[in-house]
Amino acid sequence: MTNRWEKMLNIDRRWLYLLIAIVVIVPFFIRMGLPVVPTQEVRSVYDLVDSLGPDDAIFIGWDFDPGTEAENMPMGVAVLRHAFARHVPVFITAVSPLGQGLAEQGVASVFDTRVPGNFVYVPWAEWESVREAGYVGRDSLESAWEAAGNPLPEGARGWVFEGVDYAHLGYLPYFSLVILGMGTSIANQYPTDAYGNNLHDMPMLQAHKNLREVDLAVTLAGSSACMWWILYGTSRVGLPVAFGVTAVMATDYFPYIQSGQVVGMMGGLRGAAEYEVLETEGGYTETTGKAYRGMDVQSLAHILIILLVILGNIAYFAGGFHKKTALKSRR
Amino acid sequence: MKRNVPLMIALLGGLLMIIQYFIPHQASQDVFNYYTEWAPLVGAFALILGVGSITRVHVHKIRARAPNWPYSYAVLLPLYLMPVFGLMLPVIMGGGTDGPGFFDFMYSRVQIPIQATMFSMLAFYIASAAFRAFRAKSALATVLLVTAIVVMLAQVPIGDLLGRWLPDTGLWILRFPNLAAKRAIELGVGFGMLATCLKIIFGVERGWLGGAGE
Amino acid sequence: MYETIGLWVAAIFTLAVFSFLYKENPLYRLAEHLVVGTSLGYSIVLTYQRVLVPRLIDPVSHGENLIMIVPAILGLLYITRFFPKVAWLSRYPIAFLLGTGMGVAFPYDMQTYILRQIQATMIPLYTPGAPWYDTLGAIVIVFGTLAGIIYFFFSKPHKGLFFGFGSKVGIWLIMIGFGATFGFTVMGRISLLIGRVQFLLGDWLGLLN
Repeated sequence: MTNRWEKMLNIDRRWLYLLIAIVVIVPFFIRMGLPVVPTQEVRSVYDLVDSLGPDDAIFIGWDFDPGTEAENMPMGVAVLRHAFARHVPVFITAVSPLGQGLAEQGVASVFDTRVPGNFVYVPWAEWESVREAGYVGRDSLESAWEAAGNPLPEGARGWVFEGVDYAHLGYLPYFSLVILGMGTSIANQYPTDAYGNNLHDMPMLQAHKNLREVDLAVTLAGSSACMWWILYGTSRVGLPVAFGVTAVMATDYFPYIQSGQVVGMMGGLRGAAEYEVLETEGGYTETTGKAYRGMDVQSLAHILIILLVILGNIAYFAGGFHKKTALKSRR
Repeated sequence: MKRNVPLMIALLGGLLMIIQYFIPHQASQDVFNYYTEWAPLVGAFALILGVGSITRVHVHKIRARAPNWPYSYAVLLPLYLMPVFGLMLPVIMGGGTDGPGFFDFMYSRVQIPIQATMFSMLAFYIASAAFRAFRAKSALATVLLVTAIVVMLAQVPIGDLLGRWLPDTGLWILRFPNLAAKRAIELGVGFGMLATCLKIIFGVERGWLGGAGE
Repeated sequence: MYETIGLWVAAIFTLAVFSFLYKENPLYRLAEHLVVGTSLGYSIVLTYQRVLVPRLIDPVSHGENLIMIVPAILGLLYITRFFPKVAWLSRYPIAFLLGTGMGVAFPYDMQTYILRQIQATMIPLYTPGAPWYDTLGAIVIVFGTLAGIIYFFFSKPHKGLFFGFGSKVGIWLIMIGFGATFGFTVMGRISLLIGRVQFLLGDWLGLLN
């Protein structure tokens, strides 16, 4: 009897790996589309972004590395879409060099006009002629741009003018100090953007000179770097900060939500899926994205893991390993 | 010169920064602004240390024909070719930092997939650990396991199918007992950090002086 | 062409890393080494472009902001690490960054990790009209945090009503906290795998549309 349980517990781990592989592949082909109910933690972030407009500004900190891309990227893309749709100016930063590259990928996915519902990116240099005629505001810029023979392509949701709607500040080392420095002046920390354009000239920099004039920072993080935004942004200049963190870290930050130091939090892929649901409900996207699609798989994988825990415990106790000599392990 | 001067720099620098926090005068603000411009530049040079030591290790491995030495080329070649292509070669030769080019290719088609996949393998390991290691051996371990199971079910849509009470319970656990536990831990960590700050500023903690000879 | 080759290379490396699950092999080892060199190579280029050019090379070559030469020299002292006789000079930039860093952090750490957290724990236990579970929650926050702190307080023996009972409640709560973290860790790990499967099935094989 004992032998059978021992055999079971010593099963080659590669069989377990195979089980996981099946569970994360198969549900992609039998879509269940189970509903995802947004939590208050995510709703708070969404509501704040939803209350902003062209006169406000947000930061999105691409504060993660490729290792946690699967969780953090969909959050960034979702917030980016929301902000662009509402014409809220977006500053993008990164705490690590690799984060800057990921930010470029995230932004590029929103600017890919082959996909309907995306935005058309107008680089800073491209609308120079309109600017030279005198920039007076976003609305007039859009009409002047379209009048200059640039119709909005079919299927596109809107324009994103670099320098007005969007500025990619990029990576800087010692980012905690960069946040502190931006409390006084953003352009002093970033003389140029990630593409070498002079930031001083950009309208969104003139309207939002430092973090005091910014309405929200969303940090997408795979490490405790997200805390820098609170330590040096919220504590110093009262910057509202929202978290988009990996699931592994998410439970640690509930104290900061309750204390009011963090506006809200997207925790892991589930958090991103909730944001996607809210965005679709709000009419900002036609369909939910990658994160929501992953939720069916997530459901089944959790059930498998719970079953494995239960089975492992049954074998352990039924085999009597809790009272006898330790289980002999084969490998 | 070798030990006392660095200790003095740390002491004066630390005190200066603490004092400037409490003095919102323009002069103190100017000092601080200079500092935020200087520090990242100083810190940027630390990268040379990383590049230097990794080069040393792998050049040594290649020279000594150590086990697996050919793989050291897989470290050194991209390390030096990426700056050459990214900063020196013209676009027509595959240079520059924007795609298409060698630099972009190595980052987006090699670095990102490898690193992301390495992290994703943890899913397999945690499944194996779930089966082999998580045992309800004691009352406390049982509490941990039961909480984990409730939270895991509560976080996925399938939990909703079992009834709204499940996600609600999961959220309650996160927002209250989990919060209390994490706050107690974070307060401990916070006090630890404050102690470390003072120890370094006042030269009690000197570990950072090590590794640079006498 | 670039796109297609890129997609295939990314897919091959993804599979190469996964192959480790079956058995350690040369392709996995190649991937493992490539990632080290590539990430450092990438960082060199970005540090040069984002820091050295705009903060040092550009202004100084135009004769502006010459004072930035001072932090540059300080930073260059890091290199002395490689020359044992003068290696002690590398302590200067470390001392500068570490000392000032700690000084900058101290008041903000105090505010963020301690003061605001203590303040947020001092909340009313009962708010009129609040549902019972919120009231219970408030009690858990106030007394649970206290109990957790008692558990970590090792200067007194954990005996008696306050320290003994307090630390017991504390450890139970901490286990609940760890349980929640474990549940979320499982979630996070699975999510990362989902990301790779979406890449392989969707981007590479085009099966997910």
